Amino acid sequence: MITLIDYGAGNLASLEGALDRLGLDHLRAERPDQAAPQGTLVLPGVGHFEAAAKALRKAGWWHELPQMVAGGRHLLGICLGLQLLAEGSEEAPRSSGLGLLPGLVRRLGPGVKVPHMGWSRVRARLAHPALPDPKGGWLYFVHSYALEAGPETNYVAEHGRSFAAVQGRGRVLGFQPHPEKSGAFGLLLLERALLWTGEGPRGPREVACN
Amino acid sequence: MPAKRVIPCLDVKDGRVVKGVNFKQLRDIGHPVELARRYDLEGADELVFLDISATLEARKTRLDWVREAARQLGIPFTVGGGVRDLEDIRNLLRAGADKVAINSAAVANPPFLEEAAGIFGRQCIVLAADVARDPALGWRVFTHAGKLRTELGALPWLERAVDLGAGEILLTSIDRDGTQDGFDTELLMAAARLPVPVIASGGAGTEAHFQEALECGADAVLAATLFHEGRLPIPRLKSFLAEHGVLVRL
Repeated sequence: MITLIDYGAGNLASLEGALDRLGLDHLRAERPDQAAPQGTLVLPGVGHFEAAAKALRKAGWWHELPQMVAGGRHLLGICLGLQLLAEGSEEAPRSSGLGLLPGLVRRLGPGVKVPHMGWSRVRARLAHPALPDPKGGWLYFVHSYALEAGPETNYVAEHGRSFAAVQGRGRVLGFQPHPEKSGAFGLLLLERALLWTGEGPRGPREVACN
Repeated sequence: MPAKRVIPCLDVKDGRVVKGVNFKQLRDIGHPVELARRYDLEGADELVFLDISATLEARKTRLDWVREAARQLGIPFTVGGGVRDLEDIRNLLRAGADKVAINSAAVANPPFLEEAAGIFGRQCIVLAADVARDPALGWRVFTHAGKLRTELGALPWLERAVDLGAGEILLTSIDRDGTQDGFDTELLMAAARLPVPVIASGGAGTEAHFQEALECGADAVLAATLFHEGRLPIPRLKSFLAEHGVLVRL
């Protein structure tokens, strides 16, 4: 069972639609005690880093998420969700990130239009068990800040400079693009990531178990 | 640089997709989500729904098809039309719209853009501007579906809107809309200097028109009739653009 963290900052409807198309079970949780007892946690997010961090602190997630990951849960971050997993962001210099992924989030530009809005190609930099070779596949991005590409970055994309499009560490995996908005390739990535975290499609697997 | 985007526009009235010429003569073309699904599968990069329903009742029921669109589409979409306050934006975003287009309400009360961007982030605030050229005054902004001429010059208004919080501009030439004579490339060249993406709208008739608009600095091109009537299938347009050196997602 996938738990979608619902803290008022993210397009949950599209994410749920994508999970339905993949045949994966999911629920929304506003607080940690509403999370499914096991399974993948998904941290979506759109908007301002500081506002999101504040909402997550207020709901108790900020404190709980690192412990849930340490206790064996997988965590996927999407868009601002990935940025919140990093060490910190230029968007909120006085606040820190969750620190589950190494690196800092910095503003895009100068010299390019910001926000970076639209479809960009991603390239593989470091193999990850969940991720296929993207072979120049296109993903949909909407963001003004980005995690600096580093040695642990799995996919990179370019907008003025290279930045981390997908980065993982241990049971944590962050996507800067919106896989749920990125057509067939995005859906494939989401499926691969969730299979890797141990989620499986409903019908066929149950039939197989019987 | 992201790929240049091809965006079908669906004008929705009372839950049905319609299309007019020069903002008039409406014809029924289909259900918004069905058409949208088709465009998603054909390779559209994004969709814009403009709700031109006049009644409050129809405005309320639009959240139903917005929700359904969010569930069924694998690409982002913008919803506009009669967006007046923060509650309208919140409802549309919660129903699953990725972006909200604001037109008349921003002209009537520019700080609305700032407020909206402050709460929801500028990446989901699209300023829709309907522009027509006045022989004496240059490009002017019109509101209320192109019926009301304002005192605003188009470019100063766009610059101000970006300063206030618009993260993208949907720029429609009323002069060209429905004519299929080509986009207003002079207008697009002037708007290309804005620091946010610009969607060119109004006048598409041939593949070459799209190429022209994108080469004049538009980040995305929008059309309706041409796509709805099947006269220019999206795969054909995108192959044409790719063959002519425009970066598109194939």
